[in-house]
Amino acid sequence: MTKYIAKRLIMSILTLFAIIFVLFVLIRIMPGNPFPVERMSAEMILQKRLELGLDKPILVQFADYMSMLMHGSFGNGTSLYNGAPIKPIMLKCLENSFKIGVLSILFGTLVGLVIGIVAALNRGKFLDGLCTIISILGVCIPSYVFMIFLQYFFSYKIPLFPYFFDPSKFLSSAVMPALSLSLFAISTVARFTRNEMVEVINSDYVKLAEAKGLYGFQLIRRHVLRNALIPIVTVIAPLVVDLLTGAMVIEKIYGINGVGKLMVDAIAGQGVDYNYVLALGIVFSSLYIGVMLLLDILYGIIDPRIRLAAKDG
Amino acid sequence: MKKVLMMALLLLAALMSGCGEESSNSGKLNVMLQSNVVSLDSAQATDSASFEVIADCIDGLMQLDADGKVIPALAQSYEVSEDGKIYTFHLRDAKWANGDAVTANDFVFSWRRHCEESTKYAYIMGSTVACVKNADAVIKKEIAPEQLGVSAPDAKTFVVELDAPVSFFPSLMCFPAFYPINEKFYNGLEKNTYGTSPETFLSNGAFMLTEYLPGAANIQLAKNNNYWDASRVSLENLQYQVVSSSDNALTAFKNGTLNLAVISGNQVENVKNDAELSKDLHTIPTGILNYLSFNQDAKNNHGGALANVNLRLAISNAIDRESLVDNYVTNGSQATYTAIPIRFAANALTGEYFASDQKQFADVVSFDVDKARTFLETAKSELSRDNFNLEMIYANDSGDTVVRVAQAIKSQVEENLPGVTMNLQPMPKAEYLDRITSNSYDIAITNWAPDYDDPMTFFTLWTTEGCEIAEHWSNADYDKIIANCTTGELAAKYNARWIAMYDAEKILLDNAVIAPLYTNAIADLISSNVSGIEFHSVAIERVYKSAKVQ
Repeated sequence: MTKYIAKRLIMSILTLFAIIFVLFVLIRIMPGNPFPVERMSAEMILQKRLELGLDKPILVQFADYMSMLMHGSFGNGTSLYNGAPIKPIMLKCLENSFKIGVLSILFGTLVGLVIGIVAALNRGKFLDGLCTIISILGVCIPSYVFMIFLQYFFSYKIPLFPYFFDPSKFLSSAVMPALSLSLFAISTVARFTRNEMVEVINSDYVKLAEAKGLYGFQLIRRHVLRNALIPIVTVIAPLVVDLLTGAMVIEKIYGINGVGKLMVDAIAGQGVDYNYVLALGIVFSSLYIGVMLLLDILYGIIDPRIRLAAKDG
Repeated sequence: MKKVLMMALLLLAALMSGCGEESSNSGKLNVMLQSNVVSLDSAQATDSASFEVIADCIDGLMQLDADGKVIPALAQSYEVSEDGKIYTFHLRDAKWANGDAVTANDFVFSWRRHCEESTKYAYIMGSTVACVKNADAVIKKEIAPEQLGVSAPDAKTFVVELDAPVSFFPSLMCFPAFYPINEKFYNGLEKNTYGTSPETFLSNGAFMLTEYLPGAANIQLAKNNNYWDASRVSLENLQYQVVSSSDNALTAFKNGTLNLAVISGNQVENVKNDAELSKDLHTIPTGILNYLSFNQDAKNNHGGALANVNLRLAISNAIDRESLVDNYVTNGSQATYTAIPIRFAANALTGEYFASDQKQFADVVSFDVDKARTFLETAKSELSRDNFNLEMIYANDSGDTVVRVAQAIKSQVEENLPGVTMNLQPMPKAEYLDRITSNSYDIAITNWAPDYDDPMTFFTLWTTEGCEIAEHWSNADYDKIIANCTTGELAAKYNARWIAMYDAEKILLDNAVIAPLYTNAIADLISSNVSGIEFHSVAIERVYKSAKVQ
């Protein structure tokens, strides 16, 4: 097991390194100047470039960057655009995105479970079809389209919630973005739950339990759900990362100060903020890789066959 | 299962803690910003949104009244020495929000810091603008900031020494670069964190920051009860919302979320047809000039054809500016035939705007197809070419107005000037600015917003030095006039300087260095229960100190 974990860990670190390298090179060669402020003269821009070492060859810059990263600093640690330190602001934005992400995961999982269970218990009937349609819609409709829909009906037509995100009214502001983001979670969890449940319901031990006289809620809760739900962890974990990083458009249109909006602004703002784009890229990739690593290890614990397969491979 | 549910509820409770809900709306104004506030640190800020929010929170020595006249703010009064080179400001009793007194030293500290740290606006202290003594050398880090020509003989007296008299110096004092910073407070902060949160920003002005993050979409301010002029402020809360889509802004205005929304030209027509909304529509003039910049650098892609003055004149005279503003911009912007925007820089003696005579240069800037074709024929024979294939770049990520303007110019020029082809090159702003700064373009649709209330804020753009990152034009006579007007013998002579600036403008337009297009206006929707917002065409675009919500 230790060997398995060590192997996965090394793979993850290598992957992260490769990602940072590709990101670094891509950002340096893409068009756009990090200091395109009309008020700066060519002389000042040159001076600034020298200060930041942007005149050196890309590989040297990369080595410098990695050494700074090892010391816990994203480049020189400040935004090229406004000079503010990156870390505290990114943490604050992560917190904002995370709060809404957690809300939507909670809601999405609960609703997804209910839909999945209802569908599984009524498989082949009308309710099953309805639940399937709902979960397919959830996967197909992009969350921001749903967000615009909610914004129009529940803020413009019926003013229930704030039209833009208002940090001083967190709860009521969070409802619409959390709902829109949960759409994907609902459908993923619902489909997964339904399939797992159907499989368990058809299994021999459930049939045995039924034969022994168990029925209804007791049977579902003690025998079906318990066994069907263990693997669901494996779906929810990547969803958390998806939500953190995938809320870009929603954060932008609803005005939430989250990491998604931070990323969009860093790329499409007035100048390409090398430091921010890289820092956010590294954080997003680390999150993904971290969760994937965790999952791999979890799989290994839940299902020893995976470990064996890895060994053979 | 129960445990999981309990956990979930606990988590939910934890998330919501500290998120008090308030619903009072009286005395609260919600206004829209079109783009993010870059920074609340005046040494970092470059955009009107930042300047506006900084000015809500910090007062400078002077301020603009509702009519745009310069009146005292933190300075109760000031004296100018006879040669116009020494300004002595007497400060009034004012406090920072933490209770500290505002002292002359706060200005000394802030001005020195600005010269030392600002990368983008340091020049405003230097010899092209404010002419503060030794500023250029401090900016270039040749001498210590202590040698900057500012001093505080006592806590209430702030003295500025200039290298040359600057006639508009008091009006410069309204600009955030010249605002004070509390030195003790600043030194207590971690490096680079000034102005990055409500805790790291200290106001002495009408409002205090209550909710802010760099790049935030939502900024909240509350009335500062320590403000020296607090009786003038009736708003309890001022909230900014960054909205990049004007459709979204219009909807938010209709449902009452925004009290002030900026709409785009193509929405204006619809709004005018709406009996209710049209009452809230206001056209706000600005001092922003939109113009075509011609790159004269012979190294550019198309053989430097634009180095030929007749080709430039041909293009400038082939554009129907009235049709541009009436049919494509449609937000109340005005066609402009001068290098200085129309409602800007009023003469201190006559009160007349510098560019009030729009026909002054009609011989070289007008819409006259015959004249344009004559210019084109001359250009063709001079360059021995019959066809000109020019590339026109513009940034397409800040609204669709510029896109429509670009298409209109292309069709007008191609129709009126046979043989000239314009290739439109829309691109993101970052790339667009990169192309401008690296001189790789033929024609650019660009604009310039004035930094201070004097035509020089435009004229310095086209000196040999200022041209470095744009048109690549150099004219010794022009440079001489500008030098004379800024630091030379004309600096102290108001009328002679004013006339000399017209001479400079004539050289500029005779050479068609730029083709002026129109002076921007902004179409604002303002709720009928809101009054007292002051609009200015320079430095601080909107001031809310006297704003009221009924």
